[in-house]
Amino acid sequence: MTSGAGIYFDGQTSVRHDVGVTLGASGLEIAGRDGGLLAQWPYDQIEGMAAPDSVLRLGRRGSATLERLEIADPQFAAAVDERALHVDRTGLRQRRQRIRVIGWSVAATASLLLVAWFGVPAIAERLAPLLPAGIERKLGDAVDLQVRALLDSRSLGAGFECGNLDSEKPGRAAFDKLMQRLQAAAALPLPPRSFVVRRPEANALALPGGKIYVFRGLIEKADTADEVAGVIAHELGHVAHRDGSKAVLQAGGLSFLFGMLLGDFVGGGAVVFAAKSVLQSSYSREAEAAADAYGAVLMNKAGGNARALASMLDKIGGATEPGMKILLDHPETKARIAAINRLAAARPTAPLLDASEWAALKRICAG
Amino acid sequence: MTSLEASAAAAHGAVRFLGTRRAYWRLLIRGALLLMVTLGIYRFWLATDVRRFLWANTEVAGETLEYTGTPFELLIGFLMAVAILIPVYAGFFLAALGLGTIGQLSGVIAFAALGVLGQYAVYRARRYRLTRTIYRGLRFHQSGSAWAFALRAVLWWIASALTFGLAYPFQLASLERYKMRNTYYGDLTGHFAGSGLRLLLRGLPMWLAVVAPFALTVGAFIVAVDWKALGDALSAGGDDIMSRIEGSNPALAGVIAFAMLMAGTAVTLAALLYPAFQALVLRWWMSGLRFGELSMTSTLRMRHVYGAYVRFLWYGLLFCIVMAVLGTVALVALGLVAGGGQTGNAGEIAATGLLLVGYVIVALGFSTIYRATVLLSLWQLGMESLQLSALSALDRVKAGGAPSSALGEGLADALNVGGY
Repeated sequence: MTSGAGIYFDGQTSVRHDVGVTLGASGLEIAGRDGGLLAQWPYDQIEGMAAPDSVLRLGRRGSATLERLEIADPQFAAAVDERALHVDRTGLRQRRQRIRVIGWSVAATASLLLVAWFGVPAIAERLAPLLPAGIERKLGDAVDLQVRALLDSRSLGAGFECGNLDSEKPGRAAFDKLMQRLQAAAALPLPPRSFVVRRPEANALALPGGKIYVFRGLIEKADTADEVAGVIAHELGHVAHRDGSKAVLQAGGLSFLFGMLLGDFVGGGAVVFAAKSVLQSSYSREAEAAADAYGAVLMNKAGGNARALASMLDKIGGATEPGMKILLDHPETKARIAAINRLAAARPTAPLLDASEWAALKRICAG
Repeated sequence: MTSLEASAAAAHGAVRFLGTRRAYWRLLIRGALLLMVTLGIYRFWLATDVRRFLWANTEVAGETLEYTGTPFELLIGFLMAVAILIPVYAGFFLAALGLGTIGQLSGVIAFAALGVLGQYAVYRARRYRLTRTIYRGLRFHQSGSAWAFALRAVLWWIASALTFGLAYPFQLASLERYKMRNTYYGDLTGHFAGSGLRLLLRGLPMWLAVVAPFALTVGAFIVAVDWKALGDALSAGGDDIMSRIEGSNPALAGVIAFAMLMAGTAVTLAALLYPAFQALVLRWWMSGLRFGELSMTSTLRMRHVYGAYVRFLWYGLLFCIVMAVLGTVALVALGLVAGGGQTGNAGEIAATGLLLVGYVIVALGFSTIYRATVLLSLWQLGMESLQLSALSALDRVKAGGAPSSALGEGLADALNVGGY
C-alpha cells in the first residue's frame, strides 16, 4: 500500500484539503484532488499528534506552523507509521519514558523518607546547640504567647501563675527552694524560669529558652515533693537538651521537605500532615527517653529520690507533653519506668522538702 | 468525504463527543494508582492525558480538537511557580513572626495577596491551555493582561461576597467578557454575549430557597431576643454566665434550635440544588460564546446533570462498601499480627501507616469517581448540547498567536486553583 486518502490543513488557514497521499522514497507526498503537489514531508520530520483512536494525525517536527495530515484508513496509517521514524503509534516509546519518570519518583520518595527519618533529627540535633541564647529566648517568648492563649483560662479569676497571693507565698517559697536545689545540681548556663500555673491536668512543659510550667494538677496528684521534683528534673532535661528549639527546627525542616518537594494532589495535604505528626512523635519519643535519663541522674545528684519520677510517670500514664496522650501507650510507659529505675541510686534518700514545706507547696494554688 | 459533505454532516451534528467512558475510566484509574506511587509527581502526566483524551474526542463540524501540551511543560511551570512562591511564603512567615500591626495583619495580607495571585494564575493557565489547543491546523490564543484580570476578579469576588451572591451572575458575565474578547481562534476574535441580569433572573428562585432560611433565622433573633438584657447579663462579672444569659432571655434556647434547623434546611437545599445551578450556569455560559460570526446555543437539560450526580453517588456507595470490607480485613490481619507478641511501637506505626494509605485511597478514589462521572458527563453533555450557527465563519480563518509558557499552570497547581 503506497498511497491513500487523507485530510490536510496547511497551518496557514483553516481551509480543509481532501488530499491523496503517496509514500515516496524519502518522504510523504501530499497532493490535492486536482493533482497539484501541496507539500512534501521527509520521513524523519514527521511526528504523531494526539487524535481520536480512529485517526492517525501527523504534524511536522520543529515547524513554526501547525500543518496537519489526518489519515483514517488503518492499513495506510500503519504503512506510514512503519516509515516515519518519530511516529509512535503503539505508544511504546512514550511508555518507556513514563516508566523512567515513575521509577525515579519512587526513588525520590524513598530518599525523602530516609532524610525525614534520619537526616532531619540529626541536623536539628547539631543545629540547636548553635542557636544563640537570645534567639532561643525570643523563640520561647513566641511559643509562650501561644501556650498562654491556649491554656490560660481567665474565668478562674486569679492569675495564671500561682504563688502571687499572700496565702500562696509560703508555697512559692517552698517551690523556689525546690528549684534552687535542682538548679544547683543541674548548673544550667541559663537559669530556668519556673512557674506553677492554674491548670487541672497532671502535666508540666518546658518551652524553648528555658521556661517551665508546672501544672497545679501535677502537684495535687503527687504524694511527695520528690515526685514533683522528678518531673521538673525531666523538664530540665528538655531544657538542657534544647528539645524545644530542636522541635521547632524539626518541624520547619519537615515542612520544607514535605511541603516544597512534594506537590499537591487530592488528599496530599492531609497525608503530609499525618506523616509529619508520625515523624515528630517518633523524634519526641527519643527526646522523652533522654529527658528521663537526665532527670534520673539529676535527682541522684540533687540528693533526691530518682524513683519518684518513675512512680509519678506511672500515676499520670506517661503523658508528660500535651498531645502525646494518643501515641504513648502502656508498654512504652513501662519501659520508661524500668529505664529510670535502672539509673536511680540505691541509697535511701531524705525528701528534698521537709513535711511543712511540702504542705505549703501543696497549697501554692490555694488562693 | 468532500468539504461540502463535511459541512452538511456538521450542520446537524455540529459537536460530537467520540470518547468512551471505559477508556476514560482506564486512564483515570491508572493515573490514580501512579499518583499514589509517585507521591503526586505523575499529576503532570495525568493532566496531559486527560486533556489529550477530552480534546481529541471532541469533534466540531467534522474535525476533532487537538491538545499539544506536554507533561514536561507542566513540570517546568510548576518548578517556576515553586521558585516564585518559596520567597513569597518565606516573606509571609517572617512577617508573621514580627510583632506589632504588620505581624498581626500578615495573615490577612497573605490571604489577599495569594487571592490575587491565584486569579492571575487562572488567567495565565487559560492562556497556556488555549495556545495548546489546535483545530484545523490553527492555534487558539489569548491576549490581555493577567494582572488586570486578577484585579477585576478579586474586586468582583468581594462584591459577590458583600451581596450574598447576588452580584455573582454579573461577576461571571464581566469576567467572561474580559476573557472572551481576548480570546482568538487564529485571526478570529471571540466575544461573550451572555447577560448577567438574565442569569440572575433564572437563578433567583434557587438563591431565595437557600438564603431564605438564613434570613428567617436573623429575623427570629432580632424579634425574640431582648438584646439589652442579654448585654447586661454578659457585662455583669462573676460566675455562672450561662444561667444569667438564660435568665435574661428565656426564648434564646428556642431561637437557637430554630437557627440550627434552618441552617440544616439551607445546607440540604443547597446540596440538592447544586446540579441544577451548575447546569444553569453551564448552559448560560456556552450559549454566550461567540467567535466572529459563529454563535452557539446550548440545550443542556438539568435532568441529565442530575443523572451524572446520581451515577457519582452510586459508584461512590459501591466504592465505600468495597473500602469498608478491605479496611476491616486489613485491620483484623494487623490485629492478628500485633496480637502475636508485637510491642506497641511497631504495631502503632503499622496502624498509622494503614490509616494513611486508606485515607489516600479513599480521597483519590472519590476524586477519580467524580472526574469519571460528573466532570466527564458535564463535558460530554455540554459539548453535545451545542448548536452552532454560521459555521462558515470557521472555513476561512488565518493563523495567529504563539504558544505561551506554563507558569500559570504551575502557579494554579501550587495554589490549588486549577481547572481541567
